[in-house]
Amino acid sequence: MKISVGIFLMLVASIAASAQKPAAAPKLHASAIQIDVVDVGDVSIPAEFRYAIYERLIEQIRASGVFKTVYRSGDKAAAAVPDLVTLHTEVEAFQEGSQMKRELAPVVVGSTKVDVTTQVTDKDGKKLLDQKMTGKVRIFGENLGATNDLAKRITKLLVASF
Amino acid sequence: MKLNVLLSILMGAGAALAQAPAPPPAPPPNIRHVIGLEKIKRNANGHLTIQNGVMQFTAKKGDATVAASSIEDIFVGTETGQSGGTAGRVVKTAAMAAPFGSGKVLTLLMRTKFDILTVVYRGADGGVHGVIFALPKGLAESTRSQLVAAGAHTSAPQTELKDRTK
Repeated sequence: MKISVGIFLMLVASIAASAQKPAAAPKLHASAIQIDVVDVGDVSIPAEFRYAIYERLIEQIRASGVFKTVYRSGDKAAAAVPDLVTLHTEVEAFQEGSQMKRELAPVVVGSTKVDVTTQVTDKDGKKLLDQKMTGKVRIFGENLGATNDLAKRITKLLVASF
Repeated sequence: MKLNVLLSILMGAGAALAQAPAPPPAPPPNIRHVIGLEKIKRNANGHLTIQNGVMQFTAKKGDATVAASSIEDIFVGTETGQSGGTAGRVVKTAAMAAPFGSGKVLTLLMRTKFDILTVVYRGADGGVHGVIFALPKGLAESTRSQLVAAGAHTSAPQTELKDRTK
């Protein structure tokens, strides 16, 4: 008897939990995206990281096929697209590691990490997405590998949202 | 007598050396394209030349040109990485399996310092491009000077030239 009551209570709880789950956010729509040059603010980050993030974002978002057109920052043709969205990336923190240290003592020391805030806005400047993301390289590879990791994560977010 | 013979031999050799043709110019240094040139693959090796106001990167499969006048900024930095390219990476990864971590010695032996040159330019459509090259150590600053002489603009003369290697 006690067991059946327990099972009943568990069933009720699971049904209630599933009923309370928020519905998946509706997907956003845009035919084109413009990628802004990474804003570094006051964070000390080498120029190659800043432009590697920018270039890798363009490369990977193009490869994902989410948007019909991917425009670079400053591209004049973007202004004519009515449903254009813009990707803004702002560096919040940067920690440059060492490839040698990483390979000698993996995970413990030497990891390179870049924290950013990613925002997608529409033509009126309304925020459609706002999320903090991190790119890392923990063991193998050059420090610049963190930019590739970050671009992959941001692209994944865009694929899930559009 | 012997001394005279020796002197004449030495003088003859000296004259022959003086007439020898000048050695051929050193081949242009190998430069790695990290990212940024759309026609060139990532990490492709090639040669960078600056002539007639144009920066040209020539790799095995194709080349790319950028007008120096379209360059808005140039940054120079240094980095420490692994030498040996793809083969070096394969060897090192395989060596990681060696017993007692002995393969890690390769990590120490295969270190190399190199310069990083970041060139920011605007394409014909107004779009911003960032091209990153890895050059042999000590070459980035002279390349930057050549680009500036060819008409490139820059806002950070020396600020990025710092050794961040660890």
